[in-house]
Formats: sequence, structure tokens, C-alpha cells
Amino acid sequence: MPINYYIFLAVILFCIGVVGVLTRRNAIIIFMCIELMLNAVNLLLVAFSKAHHAVAAINAGPAGTTAGTDGQMFVFFIMVVAAAEVSVGLAIIVMMYRNTHSVDVNFLNRLKH
Amino acid sequence: MNVLILSIFWGIVMMFSGIALKKKGIATGLAIAGVLILLLGNLGDMSTVVITTSTFNDMLAFRGYNVLFISIVLVATLMYFLVSGREIENVGTGGFDYYALIFFVLTGIVIASSFNNLLMLFLGIEIISIPLYILTGSDKKNLKSNEASLKYFLMGSFSTGIMLLGIAFIYGDSGSLAIVPAPSPFGFSFTSLPTLSAVGALLLMFSLAFKVSAAPFHFWTPDVYDGAPTVFTSFMATIVKAGTFIAFFRMFAGGFASVQGSWGLAMQVIIFLTLLIGNLTAVFQQSAKRMMSYSSIAQAGFMLLAIYAHNDMAKEGFLVYTAAYVLATIGVFALLSRVADPGFQGFNGLAKKEPLLAATTTICLLSLAGIPLTGGFLGKYYMLVATAKAGGPFWLVIFAVICAAISIYYYFRLIIAMYFKEGNPEMAPVSRGLKFWLVVLCVLILALGIFPYEVLLNNLLSL
Amino acid sequence: MLALLLILIPVATGLATFFLKQGNAAKLFSLLSSLATLGISIGAAICTDKSAKSFQAPFLTNLGSSFSLSLDGMGTILVLLTGISLVLVFISTYKNTYKDPSRYYALMLLSQAGLMGVFLATDGLLFYFFWELALIPVYFLCSGWGGERRIAVTFKFFIYTFIGSLLMLVGLIYLYVLNPGQSFSLTSLYAMKLSPDQQSVLFWLFFVAFAIKMPIWPLHTWQPDTYEQSPTSVTMILSGVMVKMGLLGVIRWVLPIFPYAVHEYGHVVIGLSVVGMIYASLVAMKQDDLKRMIAYSSIAHIGLMCAAVFSVSELGLQGVLVQLFNHGVNIIGLWIVVDAIEQKLGTRKMSELGGLAITAPSLAILLVIMSLANVALPLTNAFIGEFLMFNGLYQFSAWYMAVAGLSIILGAVYTLRMVQKVIYGDTNSLTKTMTDLSLNQKLILAGITVLIILYGVNPQPLFKMTMDTVHTVAQHI
Repeated sequence: MPINYYIFLAVILFCIGVVGVLTRRNAIIIFMCIELMLNAVNLLLVAFSKAHHAVAAINAGPAGTTAGTDGQMFVFFIMVVAAAEVSVGLAIIVMMYRNTHSVDVNFLNRLKH
Repeated sequence: MNVLILSIFWGIVMMFSGIALKKKGIATGLAIAGVLILLLGNLGDMSTVVITTSTFNDMLAFRGYNVLFISIVLVATLMYFLVSGREIENVGTGGFDYYALIFFVLTGIVIASSFNNLLMLFLGIEIISIPLYILTGSDKKNLKSNEASLKYFLMGSFSTGIMLLGIAFIYGDSGSLAIVPAPSPFGFSFTSLPTLSAVGALLLMFSLAFKVSAAPFHFWTPDVYDGAPTVFTSFMATIVKAGTFIAFFRMFAGGFASVQGSWGLAMQVIIFLTLLIGNLTAVFQQSAKRMMSYSSIAQAGFMLLAIYAHNDMAKEGFLVYTAAYVLATIGVFALLSRVADPGFQGFNGLAKKEPLLAATTTICLLSLAGIPLTGGFLGKYYMLVATAKAGGPFWLVIFAVICAAISIYYYFRLIIAMYFKEGNPEMAPVSRGLKFWLVVLCVLILALGIFPYEVLLNNLLSL
Repeated sequence: MLALLLILIPVATGLATFFLKQGNAAKLFSLLSSLATLGISIGAAICTDKSAKSFQAPFLTNLGSSFSLSLDGMGTILVLLTGISLVLVFISTYKNTYKDPSRYYALMLLSQAGLMGVFLATDGLLFYFFWELALIPVYFLCSGWGGERRIAVTFKFFIYTFIGSLLMLVGLIYLYVLNPGQSFSLTSLYAMKLSPDQQSVLFWLFFVAFAIKMPIWPLHTWQPDTYEQSPTSVTMILSGVMVKMGLLGVIRWVLPIFPYAVHEYGHVVIGLSVVGMIYASLVAMKQDDLKRMIAYSSIAHIGLMCAAVFSVSELGLQGVLVQLFNHGVNIIGLWIVVDAIEQKLGTRKMSELGGLAITAPSLAILLVIMSLANVALPLTNAFIGEFLMFNGLYQFSAWYMAVAGLSIILGAVYTLRMVQKVIYGDTNSLTKTMTDLSLNQKLILAGITVLIILYGVNPQPLFKMTMDTVHTVAQHI
């Protein structure tokens, strides 16, 4: 499959995430949309990684090259960081919920003067 | 490398000593000891006395420039602890935890200032950001603080997503995440990038612009700075800002320097908007705290000039500017966090009540406004010369200068309130120690403006 | 070494004065300091040893700058003026009490240091440094010790001059970038060959900064308000010495570096100056407040000086240099009289005054002398300077001279009107209580009178002192 298909798919997923972040009002759903964006990037990185590996393998043989592996490695880091972000983010949302009994971001207007 | 390891280690130490030690005041002492150890480690980095020479497979580089930058950050952190230690412990209940988080942010800054690989850029920025989400919300019962924290968190993760897409695009074109060797970043030897990575570079620029609160990606800054406890606003507006700026600088003035054709114009627009919006909006603020947050946007506009120019002058100037800006802002916030009413009228008559505090704040404000003999002037001067030398557009230099003139208006409002208006400001007691350290801070700012080479830059040349 | 001392003494004593607890001690200490500075500046004027009159030290070397000071003719005469004026100010206001005296006197001394630096610096960046540093203390003085509307007025003054100086900074930066030697030193700037286009842009960047300081119409709007609202002692410094910063800037930093642009835009500048002279003279005639009247008359005088500078004739320039000193001394004399009236009667309105000749005869006599010097009567010191300036302007264009000459007549009208209203006529209930000048004021004004007549009869020493500046400028233009 040409790499373009992956790029299109990932960009579409990413845009769905962006639109979600910009339009939804529920903090948890916004958060899920952000995760969707991150996963779109993950998909893209893996696809690129495979493609680069395939190109390098034409010259050196599949076993003779490690090209393209760093993209896949990157994906693991994104997952770990995203997990850390989730733990902090959910804690913040819970704290918010305790004080306001709502996770609606429309409540977030005290700082506007 | 030393600082990286030591800062993680000390963060953990701070975290666990919170369980064992209950007495107030110890946390600050321990944190100050920690920064001193980090500074010692930094000294080791400068003179190649290091714990390990590993550079994580060349993903990090500890060379003269960023090591010197880290020492600026550490000195600033030291001053920050000395000046605001008591306030940090007074926020909420977790003095030790906050210090631990601050040390983790330092780890992030070290990574962000020495990355050689996009993976490390990402990690550095995230390690800086995540503890900040917590620090912003540290005043748990305060709704404003809650809200600022949630807002910061959502927007911060959003910009992380954009940064990652940018990185993925760049990786797709180049097949490598490394930003060295410098002459042909990512293996390109063109003067402009191919489409996919040009888009990637722009996305990366936008997300970094978001992190350093450059317009038009600055909208979160005033709200978050206003909502967060003032001590942590001080931390975010100074040390963290410097830390994310060095990442921006390394990325575009280092990695992408040779392909400026692809991003130069976008950068000009960002600089223009940042200077314009930052300065104009600051003029209309009624609260000194909000004024300082817009001022931090305005100052970012000047720092971006260094990235745009990215010549030798810009590199030196970036150090001077960052040091002067960070120190002066810490000085101003030291006063802000002690005054009960953050509006301008809350400062009326302060010079009568606390003449020394008013004097140090005035020196800090003069430095921010760019009056000669202060580090702030020299920083601005460097930025303008660097832009002029790099053949930057004439209108941009003139515009930057006009903005500097506008900034006089809002910085002097505070000075006028302190010196020339009558009033009796309500404020927390000021200890002798604080006064002493504020004077030291001012001496540093002035020394930076008069002897920049002796104080700072000669260390760069000798490395 | 002398050059360095001229800056060092006021800086060191100024900083020390901040820490003096007693008001009277601060007063005496700063008077002694100003006397010492005056002594050094007289020494510098007499001294013929070139090396003693300049000073060089490394400073921001990598930025192309250096800490280099040097006294040429113009520098000497202005340094002398600065030295004298601070002594005059301190002695004549010795009986006044100021709130927070140690800060007041400290700031006065620091502003003197800044002024000295501006007149001595022969390095572009250093010049800019002192240019700003002279402004800051004056800003605090005006805002802290001024009149009712001081905060807004002084802020306007500050923003005005700061914008001007930032434009000059841009100009300096471009000069530096264009300079193949990558240096700010005056000699290397004089040696630069700039294209007409570059000269035009840079000329305006510099000139606007200097024009605001002088001030030249239409950039003068800060000046009357500031003079009115500042404490009179600061007004003396502002009008007597600080406006000379702009003229020195033009003569030293504009004429020799941008000769093409000076010829190209001379008409514009002279036109603005002449319009400003007429305008200011007309407005001065309408004023009721003594301070505002003198402020407007100062705009007219400075306008003439600026016009004469841009007439680029040696005679005109010679006149300007002499007038730099004489105008400063005369206007300080006028301010001292005004200050005496204000301190005693609490008003500056001409309509409320009158008959002072009866109650305060020596004040009246001295006011007449100062006024006559102000309208440049022959045998007063201002006459020779104005004569030469008109001569220079005539060589440039007779029309400009004719219009400018009008302002001399207007000047006589408003000055004599002021004299008439203030000292003649009947005393009213307010002026009945007037007492004569105190001894220190008499002494100072007598001293100024001596200077007025001495240099009116024999201006030769001043010519000799400033000859070399005229030659330097003439070489480059």
C-alpha cells in the first residue's frame, strides 16, 4: 500500500481529534479527542518507520539494516508520556469535579474579566 | 550530564524526605542545598568532571553553549528559591512535593536545552509541562487555580499533539530523528524543505510558540498565569519560559537554521504579532499580575528575534536576554506575591513603607523596560543588532523599538504607583533575608548590563 | 583623567548622598561636590594638556564600544556650563526645603553625571548610555517634587524623549552594522562613507531624537508643561543644560557624519525651526504664568540656535557654540528670579504681581538685567552669539533670516511686557508683603551679571575655546 494512504488516514484521524477538542464541552471527551490525536501520530510514525525500513532493506537486505526502527521506538515513548499525562489530567479533572460537581468546560470562565 | 542525573536524584530525595521530615522551613533549605549541588555538577560539566560521558547514543549533547545556559537557569532557580521559598511552602500543604516537581521541571529543561534528537525534544518539553499542570493547580480549594490548571492541561496536551504530528512529518521525509550534523539537518542539503517536512516544521514551530506563549498562540497565558498561585506564576514566567525557549532556539536557530526559507516568514509574522499583542494588551491591564503575564508575552517577542537572526550575535544575546529577563521578573514577582491587592492601586505609596523593596523592584522594572546599565537593555540591544546584522527587515527592527517604547508605559505605571502616589499598601511582612537577596539580584542585573563579558559571556568563549 | 573625574565625582557623591540621613548634611555635601566638579571643569577649560582631557578604557569591547571620553571645544564649554549651573542651582535654592532631601540631592548629582557623560562621550554606544542616564534622574525629580499635574506631564516628557532616543538607538545600530570597522568610535564614524540614501534615513533617525530634546516645533509639546510642573531647580537644569544635549548631538553626531543629508534637508529643518520661533514667540506673548512664558521663549531661542547650526556656515556655528554657554547662564538667572518670587509670594501669575520695584528693588534691577540679556541687548553676552547666528542664517538665505528676525522683535515685546507687569505698577495686597532677595541669591545673580557683562564685552575667550569644534565640523561638511 502506498504511504500516502497512511498519511491521509492519520491526518483524518488527527483532524477528527482537533475538531473534537475545539467543539466538545465535556472535559473527559476533550481529553479523549487529544488521545485520538496522539494515536493518529502513532499510526503515522509506525507507517513511516516501516516505509523507511523497506527502502533501506532494498540495498542491505531485511536483516542488514536497522533503519526506521527509531520511529517505532518513538511510539513507545509517546505511549508512556500519554499515560503520564492521563494520570495527571484525570486527577485535575477529578479535583475540578469535587469543587464544581461538573466536568463541563463552560464552567471555566472565572478567569475572564 | 551531571545536572541531568543530579536533578532527577534530588527530585526523588525531596519527594521522600517529605515523608520523613515534617518541620516547616526544612524543605526550602533542602531545595537550596539541592540547587547548590546541581550548580556544582554544572561546574563539573564545564570542566569535564562528569559522572558519565554517555550522551544516550548522541541524542543529547552537552557542549559549551547549553551548559552555560543551564547554569543561568540554575542561578535563576537558586535566586527564586531564596526569594520565594516561604511562599512556596505556604501554598497548600505539600512544600516538599512542590520542590520535587520543580526539580523534575529542571530535568526537563536540561533535556530541552541539550537535545540532539526530536525524541529528546519531545521528552524534554513533556517533562517540563506535566509537573507544571500540577503546580498550577496546587491551590486545590481555589476555583481559579483549578480552572487554570485544567485549561493549561487541555491546551498543553493539545499543543503536544500538534508537535508530535510535526515531528512525524519531518521523520517521514527524512527517515531520521537526529538534528545533527548541522549543515544538513535531517540529511537535507536544500535551502528550503520539501513540502511534508516544511509543514512539519511549521507545526513544530506553532506548538513551540504555544509553549513559549508567542502570539497568536498566547491566549492561555494570561488566564493560567493569573489563576496559578503567584509563586508558581513567577516560576512559569521565568525559568520555565527560558527552558522552553532554549528548545525553540536549538530547534530553529540550530537544526533548521540552514532552511530559513521555509520558516522565516512565519517567524516574522509570529514576532510581529507577539510584540504587538503583548505590548498593546499589557497597556490596558488593571492588575499588576496580569500586566506581568502580558509583559512576558511581549518579552518573548524580543527573544524570538534571536531565533530569527540566529547568528553569533543572536547566540550571545539570547543568553544575556534570558538571564536579564528571568532575574528581573523574579524580582518583580517577589514583590507581587507579597502585596495583598494585585491591582496597580495596591502599590500606591509603597516606596514610603518599604523603600528598599521599591528600589529593587524599580531596578527590575527598568531592566525589563530596557534602560541602559541594566542587563535588560543589553539584551534588547543584542537582539536589535543581531536582527540588523542578519539582514532582517528594517521595519521589524523599528517596530520592535516602538514596542519597547510602549512597554515603558506599563512598567512605569507600577513605578509611578510606588513612588508618586499616596497610599498605604497592605502587604505581608518582609524579612531581612529577602531584602538582602533582592539586593543581590539587582546587583546581578546591573553587573550583567555593565560587565556582560566578565559575568557571563567569557565563560562561553573559554569553553 | 580630568574627563573621568568630571563624571566620577558626581556619580560617587550622588550615590553616597542617598545614604545620608540628615537633610542639611545632604545639602552641604552636594554643594561641596558641585563646587569640586566646577573646579575640575574650570581646570579642564584652562588645561592645555591633551592627554589629561581624554580618557580611554575597555568597555563592551566585543560590541565595538569603548569607554572613551574626550573634551573638545564644545565639550569644554558645555562641561563648564554644567559645572556652573549646578553650583548656581544649589546656592540659589539653599534656603528652600525639599521633602526627602537626601534623595533629592542625590538625584540632582546623578543627573549632572549623566549630562557630563553626554558632553564627554566620544563613543556612540556610550553616548547613548549617558543620554538615557541623564533622563532617568530628571524624570524622578520632576515626578517626585513637581507641581500638581506632575505625574502625567512628566510621563509625557519621559515617553517623548524615550521614543526619540530609541530611534537614535536604531540609527546607531545601523551605523554600526554599516561601519566596516564595526566600531562606535567617533573617529571611525567620521571616516565612514555613506550613500545618500543611507544618510537620509539615518539622519532622520538621529535628528528626531535631538529635535525632541531641544525641542523643535512640532515636537515641543512636552516642554512648556514640563517646565511649568517641575520644581524650579530642575527646570533650571532642564532649560539651561539639558536642551543643549540636543544641540551637541546635532553638532557632534549629525553634521560631520551625514553631510549630504544635512545639505539635503537643511531647508526643512531650518523651516521648522523658524516656524517654531515665531509660533513660540506669539504664544509666549499670551502667557500669564512666568514659567510658561520663559519656557516658550526658550523654544524660540533654541529654534534660532538649531537653524543656525543647519545653516552650515562657520560664523553661524561659532555663534551657536558661544550661545550654548550664554543662553544657559542667562536663563538660569531668569529662573532664579522667578523662583525667588514664587517662594515668597506663592504665585507665578503676572496678573497677580506688580510693583515689585518698590518692595524689592534689587530683585527688580536683577530681573531687568536678566531680561535684557534674554533679548540679546548689545553689550550683554547673548548679543554676540545671536548676531553671529543671524549672520550665518543670512548667508544661508536672507528670507529665513528676515522671518527669524521677527522673533527677536517679538521676544523684546514679551520680555518687556513681563518686566513691566511684574516690577512696575502699583503694589497690590499680595506684593506688599514681598521682601527682597536673600544674600545668597543676590550673590549668585551678581555673579551671573558679571558673566553677562564680561562675555558681552569680551567674548574672545569663548571663541578661542570653541574654535577647534568649528574646524572639525567645517572639515567634514
